[in-house]
Amino acid sequence: MEKKQKIMTHRGKFITRDGIFKRKEEFHKKQAKLPFEEKIKILMELQEIADNIKNNYRNKYKKVRT
Amino acid sequence: MKKTFQVINELKKRGLIVDYAVGGGIATIFYTETFLTYDLDIFIVVKFHPEKNIIDLSYLFDYLTSEGYKWKGEHIVIEDIPVQFIVADELEKEAIENARSIKYEGEEIKIFSPEYLIAILLRTGRKKDIEKVEKITEQAEFDEQKLKMILKKFGIKGGRQWRRNRK
Repeated sequence: MEKKQKIMTHRGKFITRDGIFKRKEEFHKKQAKLPFEEKIKILMELQEIADNIKNNYRNKYKKVRT
Repeated sequence: MKKTFQVINELKKRGLIVDYAVGGGIATIFYTETFLTYDLDIFIVVKFHPEKNIIDLSYLFDYLTSEGYKWKGEHIVIEDIPVQFIVADELEKEAIENARSIKYEGEEIKIFSPEYLIAILLRTGRKKDIEKVEKITEQAEFDEQKLKMILKKFGIKGGRQWRRNRK
């Protein structure tokens, strides 16, 4: 598929593969420019999510074993 | 994390460490989008007594444990944040000297500049370090000439390979 190939999504909106990746890159750069305090808050939330996933996994695993 | 930085700054005020800067994942996050990391790497300069021929950090950890902070594996948990203190080598000492002073919730802290951070990560060279380098170079502004000078000065060869892969 060509990078510039138009893809219709919804309500007559078009995107291209190129456009998707460009917007992704822009998003990451924008995230990188957030204030440090804001980033640390996000990190704490990420850690909480990761811990919850780990605990859920552990509990499930425990249940299977016992 | 503000309280953690306050405790670390207190170590410097009390003369328990000469100087410090934040490195590792948290320093990377300062320049990039947030990603999951757990510990806070603090690179420290301490007084070295050549006659003892040993770097003794017991006074530092004695102080921290007397303040109620506990060990968890390799880390000492300061105000809920697992902190790893790393005694700086020559490259890291220079990185601390050239570190940026920033404010975190009003608390002044020192953080590695992106050029020194990249150099240190490249020298370590694990997959996760190279991933951090990729993030910094994609998402942050840094002085490529300065980075080249640091890599050359400290003979960091990983840099050459990484630059080749980048092209």
